[in-house]
Amino acid sequence: MAELATTTPGGYLLVLAILLPVVGMILSFTPGGRNAERVALCSTPFGFALAVAIAFHVSRAGKPIVYAVGGLPPPLGIALRADGISAVMLVAAAVIVAAAGFYGRAKFATPDGVREGRASLTFWIMLQAIWAALNIIFVGGDLFNLYVALELLTFAAVPLVCIDGRAETIAAALRYLLFALFGSISYLLGVALFYGAHGTLDISLLAQRVQATPVIWMAAALMTCGLLAKTALFPLHLWLPPAHANAPAAASAVLSGLVVKGSFFLTLRLWFYVLPALAADKAAIVLGCLGSAAIIAGSIIALRQARLKLLIAYSTVAQIGYLFLVFPLAAGAQTWSAIGWSAGVMQILAHAFAKAAMFFSAGLLAEALGHDQIAKLGGAARVLPLTFLTIALGGLSLMGLPPSGGFSAKWLMLQASISSGQWLWTLPILAGGLLAAGYVYRILAPALSDDQIMSVSPPKRSQELIALALAAIAIALGFAPQTFFDFLEIGRPVAGQP
Amino acid sequence: MTPSVLAGLTGAALVGLGLYGLILHPHPLRKLLAFNLIGSGVFLVFGIVARRGAAAGFRFDPVPQAMVITGIVVAFAASAIAVALILRLSVESSHVTLDPEVWTKPNGGDTK
Amino acid sequence: MTDLFSTLLVASLATPLAFLGACFVKGWRRYALAFQWLAPLPSLATGLTGLTRAPLVYDLPFLGFTLRLDPPGALLLAGAALLWIVVSAALWRDRQPDNRFGLSWLLTMTGNVGVFIAGDLVSFYLFYALVSIPAYGLFAFSDDSGHKRAGAIYMAFTILGEAVLLLAFAMLVIGEPRGSSGIVDVMAALPASPWRDATLGLIIAGFGMKIGMVPFNGWMPLTYGAAPIPAAALLSGAGVKAGVIGLIRFLPLGIASEGWGDALVVLGFFSAFYGVAFGLTQQNPKVILAYSSISQMGVITAALGMALVNGQADASLDVAFYAANHLLVKAALFLTIGALATQGIKRSHANFILAALLALSLAGLPLTGGALAKLATKAQFASGPAAALATLSSIGTALLMTHFLICLAAPPPAAAQECPASLIHFWPAAALGAILLPWVFYSAISEAPYGLEFGDFVDGLWPVALGAGLALVLVRTGRSLPRVPVGDSIVLEEAAFHRLLSVGPSLEALDARLRQWPTAGVSLLMIILALLMAGVSGS
Repeated sequence: MAELATTTPGGYLLVLAILLPVVGMILSFTPGGRNAERVALCSTPFGFALAVAIAFHVSRAGKPIVYAVGGLPPPLGIALRADGISAVMLVAAAVIVAAAGFYGRAKFATPDGVREGRASLTFWIMLQAIWAALNIIFVGGDLFNLYVALELLTFAAVPLVCIDGRAETIAAALRYLLFALFGSISYLLGVALFYGAHGTLDISLLAQRVQATPVIWMAAALMTCGLLAKTALFPLHLWLPPAHANAPAAASAVLSGLVVKGSFFLTLRLWFYVLPALAADKAAIVLGCLGSAAIIAGSIIALRQARLKLLIAYSTVAQIGYLFLVFPLAAGAQTWSAIGWSAGVMQILAHAFAKAAMFFSAGLLAEALGHDQIAKLGGAARVLPLTFLTIALGGLSLMGLPPSGGFSAKWLMLQASISSGQWLWTLPILAGGLLAAGYVYRILAPALSDDQIMSVSPPKRSQELIALALAAIAIALGFAPQTFFDFLEIGRPVAGQP
Repeated sequence: MTPSVLAGLTGAALVGLGLYGLILHPHPLRKLLAFNLIGSGVFLVFGIVARRGAAAGFRFDPVPQAMVITGIVVAFAASAIAVALILRLSVESSHVTLDPEVWTKPNGGDTK
Repeated sequence: MTDLFSTLLVASLATPLAFLGACFVKGWRRYALAFQWLAPLPSLATGLTGLTRAPLVYDLPFLGFTLRLDPPGALLLAGAALLWIVVSAALWRDRQPDNRFGLSWLLTMTGNVGVFIAGDLVSFYLFYALVSIPAYGLFAFSDDSGHKRAGAIYMAFTILGEAVLLLAFAMLVIGEPRGSSGIVDVMAALPASPWRDATLGLIIAGFGMKIGMVPFNGWMPLTYGAAPIPAAALLSGAGVKAGVIGLIRFLPLGIASEGWGDALVVLGFFSAFYGVAFGLTQQNPKVILAYSSISQMGVITAALGMALVNGQADASLDVAFYAANHLLVKAALFLTIGALATQGIKRSHANFILAALLALSLAGLPLTGGALAKLATKAQFASGPAAALATLSSIGTALLMTHFLICLAAPPPAAAQECPASLIHFWPAAALGAILLPWVFYSAISEAPYGLEFGDFVDGLWPVALGAGLALVLVRTGRSLPRVPVGDSIVLEEAAFHRLLSVGPSLEALDARLRQWPTAGVSLLMIILALLMAGVSGS
């Protein structure tokens, strides 16, 4: 597989995509203070352009673009690889990080005359750190390199949780950190076993060498479980609801939309890129069952929440369950595997945008009304029409109604599960949609009713528009043409074939 | 008993002790110490891998050693963040605990 | 000429969408909502043009949708468009409904138009969702707890139906070997599909929820009772026909399937008699009309069932005609409630006779459109037990309609305010139109004679007379029927639902326990073990 080990044209873009936020972090830290915001926001259009350029190169080449760091090919060196799903996730990350940055200006900008504070500096640096970590995760080709990126992601996400400084947010952050470290150390042990067995950690080289021995299964189990802990798959979701619900809105959007997707992306890389040669049907069923439990339990508990932000956080727990249905549905080399794969990636994107939009709206709501108790939302839609339009559009995607990315994902998942004969998965897919309709109804029905409500302070129009734009992207994903799904197939190894 | 087997058993013991502490001890500081214990066990496993994967000319494979060094740095950074959070938590509130019951208001949902 | 037709087809969809887009611009919103009666005009033209032509297919370039219009769809499209135009114009002329209502109205209208011309599964599902879900806004945004309950129950059935249909559509797509999602293609592939029976079951269940097939009928009486008269007229007239067009499109009528056909006939006639029986226990005219809808949709279901038994592909046009007639008559009947409740209109004999003609036309009174509708479905109810049951259902409908006319004397208190004045003035024209319009269109759908012979006259008159007579006897004897709560079976279903809700607190308690750190830690270890064993045992 020499072509996955040597630098291809356009490979330097991968390095630039990683370096841009890192340089931004350094520049934010050194001049410091209010310049951090300017550096972060100015780098977002460049980051987006880089992501689009990478996508363009991948689609033109028809195969992954590669960069061998230092000119040294694996197994001696480390390779960066961008294939179809990497490119798509890079673009999505650039857009959501940019949106969070511009949304976060209201709370974390330091206009002239205001003293520079630690919270603002932390926000901008950590936002860029998350961006850098995500870019490495999406293009990294070496398992240990990915471990470092994973740790960077966690260490950058934890301060965002407790940026307010309140005691319960610090407790939530500490819980997140310690559980994530539990996961990391499990992942690291798996890496050690992989290296001990095959002498390399490069993904494509491992894929050629890996065999179904107990050591490899142990390593896979350890790494997967570590990643599950970081992705908050039920029943390992203990840290997510308090962390995401108590963080500021811009942070919650990035945490729910991107951070958990980073560790999920690594799980995909592990099972579909490193281990496709293994007969992983039963393990896929285990993951699918956990995902189904997440969907049902998460949605039902979301239905019972009193606070809007907690409802949205539990909805994240449920939607993450959908992601893990991709393991039984995309396994193997049959025609339905491609459908399952497209469904999984579409679910990642649709959920990222819809959830970010909903957290932004929840933040706007909380500021405008002074609280986020669902019971007291009566008549709020008249006061905050754009915000509730965003919630309705985001809810449309979460429920899986057309036209939306969420509908596309569900539609494809149902087709994959029927055509592969795995009828079992249709039940959680449909039940999840019904329950999601339940909790979206719970938010929207009182808001649209005739009650009168006063707003404490009107929301900023720019913030509302950013949230609406993200929700609109979630809807627009429903119109993705077939070429988009073909693009996602670039670079995906099918079972048994390189 | 070769050094590799001894190291392996020690590593396993460290991981086991660490798991016990991480799962069962309630105080976050103990969880952090337990995490470091597990980390040490994992690094010992890396050391065994280094010994076994010795290529011609080297007594030890250098790659796992590099990974151990990186791992130590990461664990150190993690411990630093965790200690900072624990200290801050003890300053901000009287109870340093991860128990969700403590941080949940009786009317449902976490405290705003 | 085909180009003009294609343009009309696209315009039918584009015009309501343009109005929707205009609502986003603050300055245009008021005008877009006030003039939305103009939006269905292209649809009316399209429907009228498409009645006599071969089916037209048109692929929309960007959205990946296909539009398709065939004669049954055209008939229902024309009828629905007419209804939307008349009611929208009247409603916005007399009063200014608020933006929420207006937007829900426009969304429902868009969905209604789209559902008759959708040509592929995804666009059909989209328009079906559009015609069902925003309709919530037509009656449920109020402080009245009864309205809120009606709205919640309506939403529950709608979303459940959507989920069932999603699974059915996914099965249809998979059954199609080339992966096309066009309705014609998937229906052609359905008989050979390995999941044929499951798909048919789900389709019947899903669309049955929309048309009020027993046991999914509980929402109809509650919704039509809660909705204001214009909204009720539209929902019962045009909205429900989305379910009818669904059954027409997604039942393989050309292939004879005895099992499913018989099941549909049984379900249909059961619903027909169920609607009559429970309608007789109600006093609110709007609720009685809802039960009548349940009954009539049951007759349509039975007709489709007979078509399925015999493998009649052209039954779709006959059933569409019956449904179109029901569309006009039911909407006019709802307007009747408002018209006869207003103080201004004296209870003149002429008005009452017109109302009686209108009501009994549903039972097939000769010389009305209803008689033609019965004639149209004669091919399905030709012989055997089906014919007898069809006659029995006519008697039942006449019985129920006479009961309705009697209950018109005591209309619900808000009826007079709900109906806009211009609609009340227009009502005699509407009633006459509902009775006479089917005569204009009959020639487009069937070459059979109009049934103006004396023998046909008697055949049509005696069930109506018998039913009316029975109703009068019931009133005279003064026997009061048992009081059944509105929505009958819904009370049982609500009780079952509440019992289902009890899983919530226990799940929350489980979650609280799982979120304890030791439990989570042990779970992590157990998942490692589970994955390890799954892997090792699998290889």
